[in-house]
Amino acid sequence: MTDLIQMIVSGIATGSSYALMGLAMVIIYKTSEVPNFAQGEMALISSFFAMMLLTSFNLNVYLAFSLAFLFAAVLGCFLEFAVLRRAKEPNVLGMIVITIGIEMVILGFVSWKFGAEQKTMPFPIDPYDSLFIGDIFLKKLDILTLVSALVLMVVLFVFFRFSKLGLAMKATQQNSVAARIVGVRTNRILMVTWGISSLVGAVAGLLISPTIMHPYMMWDPMLKGFAAAVMGGMTSLPGAVVAAYMLGIIENLFGGYISIEFKTVVAFVIIVAVLCFKPSGLFARHYVKKV
Amino acid sequence: MKKSLMLLVVSLAFVLSLAPNLFAEVGVTDTEIHIGQWGPQTGPAAAWGSVARGTGAYFQWINDNGGIHGRKIVYHMFDDGYNPAKTVAGVKELQEGTGIFAWASGVGTSPGMAVKDYLAQNNVPWVGPAAGSLNWVNPPQRNLFAVYPLYDGEAKALVRYAIEKMGKKKVAVAYLNDEYGKNGLRGAQEELKAHGLKTVAEVSFEAADSDLNPHVMKLKQSDADMVLLWTTVTHAAKVVGISKAMKFEPQFMSTSTCSDFPLMMSITKGAWEGVICATFGELPDSDYPAIVKYKKEVFDKYAAKEERWGLFYYAGILFVEPMIEALKNVGPDLTREKFITEMEKIKGFKGLGAEVNFKPFDKNDMYSRQGASQTFLVQCLAEGKAKKLTEWMDIK
Repeated sequence: MTDLIQMIVSGIATGSSYALMGLAMVIIYKTSEVPNFAQGEMALISSFFAMMLLTSFNLNVYLAFSLAFLFAAVLGCFLEFAVLRRAKEPNVLGMIVITIGIEMVILGFVSWKFGAEQKTMPFPIDPYDSLFIGDIFLKKLDILTLVSALVLMVVLFVFFRFSKLGLAMKATQQNSVAARIVGVRTNRILMVTWGISSLVGAVAGLLISPTIMHPYMMWDPMLKGFAAAVMGGMTSLPGAVVAAYMLGIIENLFGGYISIEFKTVVAFVIIVAVLCFKPSGLFARHYVKKV
Repeated sequence: MKKSLMLLVVSLAFVLSLAPNLFAEVGVTDTEIHIGQWGPQTGPAAAWGSVARGTGAYFQWINDNGGIHGRKIVYHMFDDGYNPAKTVAGVKELQEGTGIFAWASGVGTSPGMAVKDYLAQNNVPWVGPAAGSLNWVNPPQRNLFAVYPLYDGEAKALVRYAIEKMGKKKVAVAYLNDEYGKNGLRGAQEELKAHGLKTVAEVSFEAADSDLNPHVMKLKQSDADMVLLWTTVTHAAKVVGISKAMKFEPQFMSTSTCSDFPLMMSITKGAWEGVICATFGELPDSDYPAIVKYKKEVFDKYAAKEERWGLFYYAGILFVEPMIEALKNVGPDLTREKFITEMEKIKGFKGLGAEVNFKPFDKNDMYSRQGASQTFLVQCLAEGKAKKLTEWMDIK
């Protein structure tokens, strides 16, 4: 029984970083219907930027992280403005290919600039400090990640549901021509969306970095975040978060009771199954454009 | 008649103009020896890219000290990103385009396996692959000389030490699910069997795994008193860290690929302290004469500013030292056949690593091409210092 509870707790802990990446992907998808495959690398470069501020400029952690969040937001806006927006006659496939291109450019840049040797980010919480409740352990860093994911989910949910900007974002996704007609500056909305999404991704990156940093560190969280977003419905913020936790728990239980060798592929089996049987996801109400 | 004679003279002149090339060896001129190497400068294994850079600095040092019998080494290093498809493309391009006399080192079992047959078919010498895989020498092939001690030998040495010196009985193995990991697993199983024991758990890792909680839980459930780690550096660091968080505290042991203690201590935030590793080279801060000499004359002079004098860097020297020895022994008349003969004559060679011995080619004796079979064990101390637990041990 202890093992089962431990696996569920570990699954929730793991699911938190998937949830943050899933949220970041959903934000962009909600406004542009483009899955952003550069999400992981945008978080990666923001994390390495924070590392550079900490080690080369000796800034304190809080200042370095604040500047990294700012950097992430500006980077997101810049990529939308300077790259995505320049696409001629854009379609979804073209945009996806562009995001893959951005991903490769950033990955190459980080490898070149910061080297490939593994590092860890100085952080106030030791990544291997843990709390015990009976025999069940939970790392303190995982608790912080969990809280961050839930707080961000609530903030973003409220933002999209009630703020003027959030509503404008929703309108842009549902019908960008009509949104433009009623005065929504859709280009600017898209740019802000990329900024917010990049910021959320950076939170995930910065919370992974105290454990280990290397150019490929965001691959797995990004793919799992994407799997969670697909499972949750791509447009639902709470859906992505719930699906991310489900995914974390399923992976842990699968690894514990069925096969540790195939634990990693479970996420992708789930993507295929969801796309086959419920393409709109488990939690989303897909908006259907009516003529 | 006159026309035929003319044609004959022209043909002869043409053939004679080619004569020097017909008899010259590929990749060798009067002033140059072309040597190639692949090494991941980008990609998941790029931390081991320093091997190829270490070799580069060593060759520069040789050139600046007069070269080899008046010839300079022209070093062709390319980044294969640890991607076997890129290794094949790069090796073929250089071999068939530029013409390479011999290949030095080259990181990784999978990239090496991708070009092993190609180099054998063309009888191109290849010395010191940077991986302790059994695949290089089982079966042995004439052109390929291995310098890295076998992984299964390292695993045997570690398990033997755990059982005989530390009294451990419950050994679990955490291994990467590829040839590298399986070599370690096989060595551990054989040594345990020799002591009438079995592994209490065998937990495999996929290279892409990032959440390792389930793996560590399995290790903890086995109640192992020694865990042998045959994984990537990142996985090994995380396993030791998560175990600490779980209050699971067996004796951890690991392969030479995780024996760069300053790096391991830094990425585990100190949790690597106490871990025992096998190693294939003298310690970086030792006063062993060759270490002192190469650090001063090669590293301090030729290494880039951000480079670190760690095991992987000078492994780039260690793996090719026998190659340079054989090149010197061949003399000025350099051919591949003579080079292979001189490699076979290397006996009791001691550079930065284990003693190296080769023999004339025998398809039934892998030690005719496996030059090193010694390792020694070190334990990680605070601040990444190493404590030598054993002297060089012969493990076959």
